[in-house]
Amino acid sequence: MVAVIVVVVVVAALLAVAGLLFNRLVRLRNETEAGWANIDVQLKRRNDLIPNLVETVKGYAAHERELFDEVTKARAAVAATSAPAERAVASDALSGALGRLFAVAEAYPQLRASENFQELQEELTDTEDKIAAARRYYNSVVQTYNTAIQSFPAVLYAGLLGFRAREFFSAEASERATPQASF
Amino acid sequence: MTLRQQIRMNRLRTTELLVVFALLIGALAGALDAVYGLGPAIAVAAVGLAWALFSWFFSASVVAATAGARPVTKAEQPELYRIVENLSIAAGLPATPQVRMVDDPAPNAFAAGRDPKHCFVAVTTGLVQTMDHRELEGVIGHEIAHVQHRDVRLMTLVAVLVGVVAMISDLALRMLFFGGGRRRGGGNANAIVLAIAIVGLVLAPIAAVLIQMAISRRREFLADAGGAEITGDAEGLARALRKLADDPREIRDTSRSTAHLYIEGPLGKASGPRAALANLFTTHPPLEARIAALEQIGGFKLP
Repeated sequence: MVAVIVVVVVVAALLAVAGLLFNRLVRLRNETEAGWANIDVQLKRRNDLIPNLVETVKGYAAHERELFDEVTKARAAVAATSAPAERAVASDALSGALGRLFAVAEAYPQLRASENFQELQEELTDTEDKIAAARRYYNSVVQTYNTAIQSFPAVLYAGLLGFRAREFFSAEASERATPQASF
Repeated sequence: MTLRQQIRMNRLRTTELLVVFALLIGALAGALDAVYGLGPAIAVAAVGLAWALFSWFFSASVVAATAGARPVTKAEQPELYRIVENLSIAAGLPATPQVRMVDDPAPNAFAAGRDPKHCFVAVTTGLVQTMDHRELEGVIGHEIAHVQHRDVRLMTLVAVLVGVVAMISDLALRMLFFGGGRRRGGGNANAIVLAIAIVGLVLAPIAAVLIQMAISRRREFLADAGGAEITGDAEGLARALRKLADDPREIRDTSRSTAHLYIEGPLGKASGPRAALANLFTTHPPLEARIAALEQIGGFKLP
């Protein structure tokens, strides 16, 4: 009788602990997914602003065609990629192309004076800031999540339960490397 | 203490607070029963509970109204608005808190609301005028950290409950002065004295204890550290705190029930009896200590 009670209690305790550990992994994974959705929203917003920007700049600086092509291609690349690291490379390339476009725009006083252009520039700068903010959050929750599934005891069962390490939204190799598990 | 532990601790404190509050209402009802009979006692307790529920549900609006914080649009304050939006994203909040402003030349800021989806960040007009972009980011980061840590929920609850307790004691006293207490035979002097003693002596200190429970100094240090992590710029916040320390102005019209919400304790600069009282209930650690902690985090030294 006593043995049965002991077994029941021990099993119940183990189940409770397992449940808590499992829930923690689920919560962390959900945080990475929410973080990724944040980045996605901002990348889409930037992509939506670009056609308008290109049209506006074309009106004043029609012969900068190469630059327009570069921006348009980089925009398409961001829309086409889906893996975080790849997408980060594409996103950084687009930021660079936009930076050059705004640098060139400096040479056209009429363009700079255009209210529409100023608004677009402000919106884009803001979106770039928001991408940076969303990236910071995403990378920090991915760091926590990856460390959690690679640490003991989760390392024993996380893989079996379908918890896979997530990629960082980063073009840099140093950040892409998986963090060391700490025991 | 990790962030997660801090959040859990705040949840526990919130529950404790609710239990203490329920006990308090029960004790009050008991005292009222002794003086006025059962009917009025139940009525007062019910009004108190209804008021508590009402103000909890509308806590953000109630606190905003108490502090005189009006909502601002993105068109009015684009810079402030963007900082709040960006830092909410960086902190991973589920929604951007509402942005509000208090018309006051003294620089200060606070956040309130019952959860991250129903809350706001308020700054004074003086803060926007005094701080540069970087410092403003530091201050907003501190407030966003409070929201993230669920400090805001607990501190708002305190503000609400203190208001309710004040209301009930006010009601009880009014009943006493305007002809109550006669139902159990004219001039049951002992019971009345007892009631006054309970109302006067129990309520005031309990209100103070409630406030003090919420005002852990560690909470401010943690919000500073959290804010620095969100902005990635400990120095910006440290500079802002230095500016707050150097600014002699004190925000007007802060009632004791909302004092603990601000980034800089608003009741500490006056002299005289009010200052003595403020020191007794210091809501915030000294700014210099907070700056020193930030200097350690960021590895810099303010001049």
